Amino acid sequence: MSAVRGFLEYVPGTSLLHRMNPVAKIFCALLISVACFCTSNLIFLACVLIFDFALAAHCKMTRQAMGLAKAVTIFSLILAVIQLLTNSTGIELVPLPWGYIGTGGVIGAVTIILRLVAAAVPLFLVMYVTKMTDLANSMVKVLHVPYKYAFTFTSTVHFIPVFMNDMAGIMEAQTARGVQFDQGSIVKKIRLMVPLCIPLLVSSVRKTNSAAIAAEVRGFNLRTRESGFKQYPFAARDFVSLVICVGILVVAILLGVFF
Amino acid sequence: MIEISNFSFTYRESSEPVVRDINLTIPDGAFVGITGAAGSGKSTLTYAMNGIIPHCYPGDFYGSVKVCGLDTVECDLTEISRHVGSVCQDIDSQMVSSIVEDEMLYGLENFGVSHEEIETRVSEALDAIGIADLRDRTIDSLSGGQKQKVALAAIVALRPDVLVLDEPTAELDPASSVAVYELLRRYAREHGTTVVIVEQKIALLSDYADLLVVIESGRIRFADCPENVLEHADELLSIGVNCPRSATLCHDMKAAGLYAGPICRNVEDAVGMAEQALGLASASPESSRTAADAFAMTGAQATADIAERTAEKGGAR
Ligand SMILES: Nc1ncnc2c1ncn2[C@@H]1O[C@H](COP(=O)(O)OP(=O)(O)O)[C@@H](O)[C@H]1O
Ligand SMILES: [Mg+2]
Repeated sequence: MSAVRGFLEYVPGTSLLHRMNPVAKIFCALLISVACFCTSNLIFLACVLIFDFALAAHCKMTRQAMGLAKAVTIFSLILAVIQLLTNSTGIELVPLPWGYIGTGGVIGAVTIILRLVAAAVPLFLVMYVTKMTDLANSMVKVLHVPYKYAFTFTSTVHFIPVFMNDMAGIMEAQTARGVQFDQGSIVKKIRLMVPLCIPLLVSSVRKTNSAAIAAEVRGFNLRTRESGFKQYPFAARDFVSLVICVGILVVAILLGVFF
Repeated sequence: MIEISNFSFTYRESSEPVVRDINLTIPDGAFVGITGAAGSGKSTLTYAMNGIIPHCYPGDFYGSVKVCGLDTVECDLTEISRHVGSVCQDIDSQMVSSIVEDEMLYGLENFGVSHEEIETRVSEALDAIGIADLRDRTIDSLSGGQKQKVALAAIVALRPDVLVLDEPTAELDPASSVAVYELLRRYAREHGTTVVIVEQKIALLSDYADLLVVIESGRIRFADCPENVLEHADELLSIGVNCPRSATLCHDMKAAGLYAGPICRNVEDAVGMAEQALGLASASPESSRTAADAFAMTGAQATADIAERTAEKGGAR
């Protein structure tokens, strides 16, 4: 349960990243992520990754960043293995019936993992150092996003851990009744979990419904761009950060084109 | 003023009315308690008062509900919400923000409270509910009881004419529940706010409510001042409402023909009554025996409580 609770949950702090404008933050993170997909230069990707972790350390989020990096690595391992087995280029290392595992495949596999981790960490960092309310309100104020969409977005993020907790709760209750989730094959596990999705779905619908009602009785329909009490001005640090991130993207594109 | 006449409601999913034949008039500034067994329709009745029915839950609506002069069927929910502030039962899904302060701001921003006034409203409401220290906390780090207080403060900040609260102390310990009721009563008196509050703990309601409404299977069984409602201890018990022990005791004594005064809502009342009886005792040994018999007869914990408190008071004198 505790692992679920911390998921994408705001971590209070006063670091530079905490204080930046939410819109600037999310744009910077997006620029870095896009940059990671513009080039396959390993040195560049490694630099971005180091930069990511420097940022994480700066806002005291190394633990969360490590956890996230681990999760993304595991996820991208599948892609990396496919790359390893199918990309038979470079010097032959291990012969396979249909070709060989070569240095090209190894480099490709490493690139994939490095790229996905380097691209994911900044996005998640931004989620951790930004209150969802601030992100939504600044989107509405600065980018003129309709409040309805911003609210849908924040509610979704808000409810992910709630639903995960519900699921954990239901599974606990079933385990107490003798259902064994921790044994057997994946297929068997999934078969045990499917029936649980129905109560989960019912409770999710009910919860989102009462959330919508609660917002409505507190004037949701009256909210306009001017309603927000907090202002989200752009400061020098926001412009500087944006310029730096655009720079990173330009470097990535140049590397992608010329090397 | 809330006027409910001949109101019945059937949810689209249910086959028969969940509340029916409700006639209830709540004057401005009243403190009204609603109680009843689980599933008796208390929450549904509150939805009728804050406009959630018929605006959010579809179903068959009979009769009429008027709140602050607005017909809840004709007015839209936002208009009703300007007058009625609600805290619903499911506290977790009501939070729209991740930080207490943002939660407080939400309604104020939406209803267009001027930005100069917002700060005063927020700090006043937080102080009124006694949670000024929680202002910068994340909602997820709060206990259930603290969340209930935050939800309450966020509504109080809007200064509605009517507060509709559905089990706002369900997750609070008894001492904090009393504290919340104290705060609510003081706040409501200062601002002339009407308070409608659903509560399982009838002892609390009988101490604070001017009007106590008991619901049984969707119908109003009793709607009267707490003293009069508590006269019906047997019936209350049979419909799943637990009476305070002192009320049960009075009731039993009356049934045994030992007592004819008003019902004691709580131990304080009972101490007063016992003192009276014991005061008489010095004059006539007969009534002294009556009171002593009464205490001996029931043997309930309440008896001990009352006797103890009386003895304490007597000893102090
Ligand atoms: N949103 C809803 N849709 C359909 N049925 C409901 C809904 N809310 C409550 N009910 C039904 O109405 C009845 C009374 O519920 P409720 O008003 O919540 O009672 P209480 O608050 O006294 O426990 C229950 O049988 C419940 O199943
Ligand atoms: Mg209820």
